[in-house]
Amino acid sequence: MVYTKRTFWPLIIGIIMVGYAFLVQTGQMAGLIKFLNTGRYVGEMLTLGYAFGGVAIVAGLWHLLARPSEGHADYYFSTIAGVMFIMLVAFVVKWGLDPLMSNWGRAAQSTLGFNFARIMNLNYVVMGILAGIIVVNVFKVPVWAENGVRLSRLGLKTGVILLGALYSFAELAQLGKLSVVLIGVFVLGSVWLVLIIGARRSLPNSMTGVLSAGVGVCGVSAAVATAPVVQAKSLEIAYTIGTILLFGVVCMFLFPIVGKQLGMGYVQFGAWAGTGILNSAQVAGAALAFQPDGIETLKVAEIFNITRVLFLPIIVVWLAIWYVRREQAAQRDVQKVDAMQVVISKFPIFVIGFILMFLLSSTGIFAPARHYQGSYFDNSEKALMKKDRAGKAIDNHLKPGEIETLQKELDKIKRDDQKAALGRLIQNRKIMSEEDDAMVRGVINSKALSKEGTAVLSKSHRVVRHTAAKISKFRDLIAWFFTFGLVGLGMQITMSSIRQAGGQPLVIGSIVGVIKAVGSLIVVMLLVAETI
Amino acid sequence: MEDKFDRGSALTIFPSDRHEDLMALILSLVIAALVYFLV
Repeated sequence: MVYTKRTFWPLIIGIIMVGYAFLVQTGQMAGLIKFLNTGRYVGEMLTLGYAFGGVAIVAGLWHLLARPSEGHADYYFSTIAGVMFIMLVAFVVKWGLDPLMSNWGRAAQSTLGFNFARIMNLNYVVMGILAGIIVVNVFKVPVWAENGVRLSRLGLKTGVILLGALYSFAELAQLGKLSVVLIGVFVLGSVWLVLIIGARRSLPNSMTGVLSAGVGVCGVSAAVATAPVVQAKSLEIAYTIGTILLFGVVCMFLFPIVGKQLGMGYVQFGAWAGTGILNSAQVAGAALAFQPDGIETLKVAEIFNITRVLFLPIIVVWLAIWYVRREQAAQRDVQKVDAMQVVISKFPIFVIGFILMFLLSSTGIFAPARHYQGSYFDNSEKALMKKDRAGKAIDNHLKPGEIETLQKELDKIKRDDQKAALGRLIQNRKIMSEEDDAMVRGVINSKALSKEGTAVLSKSHRVVRHTAAKISKFRDLIAWFFTFGLVGLGMQITMSSIRQAGGQPLVIGSIVGVIKAVGSLIVVMLLVAETI
Repeated sequence: MEDKFDRGSALTIFPSDRHEDLMALILSLVIAALVYFLV
């Protein structure tokens, strides 16, 4: 089979991308950018426009001029066109539809009485997935792009691995403990519940087994991983996948709306989405839809998701043993299971990648080891002495006038520890430690000093806090990998696969899915604090 | 999309989840190296 199709479309896409970047660079898009309020994206419009446009032009020439025969080159090169197709949709949604919808939402607020874009959570993540669903179900994915659309899951997994670089030990330890408890209860509970209801309703053991893994662990991957050990038939796998997709898509759009209405914070929503949504990709979708302008929620949700994925080998062994016992009890022939072999063969390698990236980051190669979300403390002379664009030296130590302001107001501080920290700041003309920095932030937040005094403290704090450029780049890249993966995911949600859901599996899957979603919501609201 | 491809599956171009995981791992390490050296 030859995958490279003769078409001019990748070339056109490349020309559009490069042309758009050129128009932005020469200022001819300034009016549109101002209208859409997308000035913050100009940097990435240029970088991504030129980079992806250039690649799309080369791929377009390959599609037009090459005479590929069946083989690896044809198979892998033909995926580039699909990647460019997804990226074009992502660009249109993120730089065009998302800000346009925000404008319309605000404009219609006085007439409707509410901001429909905010209430319906119409941000670039939700619209990207919706665009994918519309493309595949209304227009069909172009034949030349179909092979590349199958790379979307690779994009999501790469995003998860890269995410490992953004966690601190403290965050991972606390979220890890919380996730093991919550996921343990809800994953094992929902698998057990499906097995009980399936047996009561006399479903075949193979159907019950594959459905319990799908509903309990991580959706489609879990169903496919479990299918061989419970000898599930193709139709039973299709029923399970249909049920998971239908339920997952509804949850992906509904969870962020409910989360916002309930006033949930990042940690609470991440914990709920990571526990309550069935499919891994849809967890990422819901987390980014809840917080499209940052990745704090995604970080929490992915810890829960990874914990859930880590349960997969255990669940597969459990289901394999359960299936053998049930079949033997029914006097049917069945092969014994080698538990260790199942654990090794089903262990998800990308989780090892996530841990590896976390360990790499913890060595301090991307940011100082004690960084928190890319921000770190550094009061060295080198960090405080900067140069402006003209090369002129800027000294960020406190100036005599600023010291005088602080000295005059020192008596307004009542706490001894805060007073001592300010004393050291005055004496050394800079904040001396992370602990002193925390004290200074406390004084700023308490608004105990005058406006001038607070401004001096804010400046002192700012000059010792630095954002790691590498971590900042990781954030941008991760957001784009997830955007790519989620738009591509939308293009794989076909109505025909959802229509496969039905009968008893849909009823049981929905009952257990709802119990899991509502149960985890209640537990999270009652027990999970917003700060980690 | 099931019958359109003679390699991989409807969801991925790779022969198995493990292959896909390994590719994601390699891709991530390449990106991390690029970020480390270029940023």
